[in-house]
Amino acid sequence: MPTRVTVDVKGEDTHEIDLERLAASGNSGEPISYADLLAEVDLSPHEVSVLVDGRPVPEDQPVEADHVTVLRLIKGG
Amino acid sequence: MIVCPDPIRETLLEDARAGAPAEVCGVLGGEFGRERSRIRSHYPAENVASDPQIRYQIAPREQLELFERLEDRGEEIVGFVHSHPEGPATPSATDVADATWPDRSYVIVSLPGDDVTSWRWRSGRDEFEREACEVSSGSGVQTR
Repeated sequence: MPTRVTVDVKGEDTHEIDLERLAASGNSGEPISYADLLAEVDLSPHEVSVLVDGRPVPEDQPVEADHVTVLRLIKGG
Repeated sequence: MIVCPDPIRETLLEDARAGAPAEVCGVLGGEFGRERSRIRSHYPAENVASDPQIRYQIAPREQLELFERLEDRGEEIVGFVHSHPEGPATPSATDVADATWPDRSYVIVSLPGDDVTSWRWRSGRDEFEREACEVSSGSGVQTR
């Protein structure tokens, strides 16, 4: 697991997240997931897609990349 | 307010007619402002919704590709366009439920009446706010 991860929310801000600090502040002892990163930047997995190297990743997957792209979904009817 | 070049507006209508009865969709690039935006380019996208006659969705990989293309052109994400082949020219309940981009413009092309309307998603109020759409004589850029 990387120690820091850059979270690029397209069309908005780029965030630098310290994973060691985030892990220390949690209670479960579980690896930090992409969903945890989203929570840190006040986003819900239901409204975005998380991509690593241009490929969508499951939000419940442990963070293994040091750069993540977040896209708000474009959908409707 | 949103400013849209007339050629782009015409292309949005043509694409909607060609795609009917399915909804068509795409990304709009240009100059973004919370109260006033200007469309410079239109990027059609594949509608990957499971029921494209009543839903639209852009796949994340294509979405990222389109964003990178417009950013390479020095543009900002102005908003998104989709069609309502049967109308209305107003956001549907699905549009409201699925909106995620605060303050971006959601342009709707309604084929009955050839209406092109634009709506800002105001996330703080969880509602769309209609905005004036000014049609300009500029050329804009069509990208395919």
